[in-house]
Amino acid sequence: MDIATLGGQLLGQIPLGDIVLYLTPFNLFMFAGALIFTTLIAISRTETQVEAEFGSLNDNEVKVGLKEFKIRRFLAVVCGLATAGAMITGDVFNFTLLVALIGIVNIGIVSAVKQIDVLNAAFQYGLIAMIASLPLFGGAAIILASTGTLSILEIAQLSFTTPMMFFASVLLLLGIAGETGIAPFYATKAEMFRTPGSPFILIIHLSSLLVIVRAIEILLIINKPF
Amino acid sequence: MIVPEVVPTITVSLFLPALYVALIVGFIALLGISFQKKDVHALILTDIVGVAMLIIVAAVGTDLAEALILPGLVVELAEIMAISEILMSREMRKTGKKVSFMPMPIKMDMEILKTAPNFLSLVLIVYGIFLTGFTGGAVAGVGILFYALARKSRGLPFQLWEGVSGISGVAWCIWLAGFLILFVAPEIWLLGLLMSSFGILLKVASKMGLIGVLGREEFKRN
Repeated sequence: MDIATLGGQLLGQIPLGDIVLYLTPFNLFMFAGALIFTTLIAISRTETQVEAEFGSLNDNEVKVGLKEFKIRRFLAVVCGLATAGAMITGDVFNFTLLVALIGIVNIGIVSAVKQIDVLNAAFQYGLIAMIASLPLFGGAAIILASTGTLSILEIAQLSFTTPMMFFASVLLLLGIAGETGIAPFYATKAEMFRTPGSPFILIIHLSSLLVIVRAIEILLIINKPF
Repeated sequence: MIVPEVVPTITVSLFLPALYVALIVGFIALLGISFQKKDVHALILTDIVGVAMLIIVAAVGTDLAEALILPGLVVELAEIMAISEILMSREMRKTGKKVSFMPMPIKMDMEILKTAPNFLSLVLIVYGIFLTGFTGGAVAGVGILFYALARKSRGLPFQLWEGVSGISGVAWCIWLAGFLILFVAPEIWLLGLLMSSFGILLKVASKMGLIGVLGREEFKRN
């Protein structure tokens, strides 16, 4: 499938040797979205969380120490930048690495929390992320083995698709689902959003939404179903 | 043709068996995870899934696949370290007890640990610098590790240790800048090559600096 069919017209390329970034309106929109949200995280101050108490009219304030808060905000900013990078990369290789980075940083954001329930959920999520690195890297490796290249611009110009490429795409999708924690692996993430100081933790949500949209674009380019 | 002519057919025919082996290994590891009861066992068994991933990537056997193996390995290590930290911090929070980083089971009080470390680690570091590159970095890193372990009973100068970790960061930047030169301005490749090779020498050698920063609390106690 042509890149221009999916993402609008091809606005330009940034060639850095073998690594070629390409810009389409579709990519640029998501790139800018990720960057804007990252900037909001970097300047916001959300140390205090106000919870309504059950059975009374009082409010309950939960505070986070500044030291713990700084680490988590830094990791959230890294997560935002990795998401932005995954939006405009023109390389299955770089896309894989950035998704793996998002997975690690997501574990890091919640592991600084000092509550047993949250640590339990973070542990389960971490196990899923580790297991998911098998289909993620394995899928990328099989794409490399069956097409001979990892550059999306090159793959888009291939005239054939093989069953191996389809298998690799399914593996890649499984890996991305596990690393960013979308639908079947979603349950452990709910506990993480209940932690104090959590508003910027929504970057975990934003990254998984943007990455899955971009992953579907890449998989359509690889498999050329229409 | 995707596979070049120079590759022998036996190498090409090994790809599918390797893929099946990796998938079977992954399946066995997942079965193990589903049967176990304790969290620690799940963590250890998860590492086998990572090994299966490395088998799949290694089965491709090209330069690009080699470039995928290294980050795959690093991702696995980073995740297993992060998750074991989560597990430790959860257990400490449950029981209320603190555990020291790098616990040493026996008390080492030997003459050789007081006299030899300076000389031996100096020899290793000089030999490592002579080798340069990744191997040299590993040898020099062993020298620094030996010094750290031998001096541990007498207490380490942890300010110097933070300096080492600072050098590690700078070396990382030199390495990256060298690679950027190779990509952006291939005409001055010699400069890029030298920058990245010396960068990785310093980087690998000062890897212990990172552990030094992690163990800072323990050094302060000594």
